[in-house]
Amino acid sequence: MGIMDYFKPVDTWSPDKVRQFLNEVSPQDYNLVDVRTPKEYEEGHMPGAQLIPVGELENRLKELDRTKPTITY
Amino acid sequence: MEGGIRAWNGLRAAGPPEAGMAYFDGATTPEELIALAWMLEEGACKFYREMGKKEKSPDAAALFRELSDDEEKHKSSLLGIYRRRTGKEANPGFPRSLLSLESGVDYLEGGVVLNQALEWAQGKELRDILDFSVSLEVNAIDLYIKMERKVEGGEAKEVFQALSNQERNHLKRLTAGLQKDW
Repeated sequence: MGIMDYFKPVDTWSPDKVRQFLNEVSPQDYNLVDVRTPKEYEEGHMPGAQLIPVGELENRLKELDRTKPTITY
Repeated sequence: MEGGIRAWNGLRAAGPPEAGMAYFDGATTPEELIALAWMLEEGACKFYREMGKKEKSPDAAALFRELSDDEEKHKSSLLGIYRRRTGKEANPGFPRSLLSLESGVDYLEGGVVLNQALEWAQGKELRDILDFSVSLEVNAIDLYIKMERKVEGGEAKEVFQALSNQERNHLKRLTAGLQKDW
């Protein structure tokens, strides 16, 4: 499976739609992934976001639960 | 998410990715995570208690007292899970004995030293205090979600999940406070 296949089911959501989703769904039921650099993450990130810099994503996909929706930014 | 973080106009947590634990060396076992959470709850509890004394508005003072009382309950929940996991009472040195921290210094979320926060709060407007409190709660939610992910064991996960939800409720109350004309 290629990296793009992993994210295929995920559409591009507006921030409002993401906010609504995060308000309605328990953090245990989704993956929220920050793909920026550690420095950018440290300066500010969405609460509960997991840092996986985009360059490491392919090797760290196993850290994400494939059965849950994944939101990346 | 369309537009990435730049488009996100919601609240943001700050700090490194290691569940906020980079400020506190070595908090990796479930017991250490519980101790870290307890210590941060203690810091928040003391901060809100002092704000409750400081605020002149009775409503604002009541809000801070209630938040302080809630954090006290969170400490009890954490001690309960600690007891059940270890099968023993926390020793008198808890939580510092588990975290290798210097004694006499209390911390808040994000590694802020409590005394420095209290000093900062002197002479500050209520809005500034609420703003700061919002940032504490956002970081607490961030921390508990990460701890819930990291810790093994159903009950511990449930406790961190419940704490995360309760801090969300605090966040709602504080952000409502920012809209209010005190």
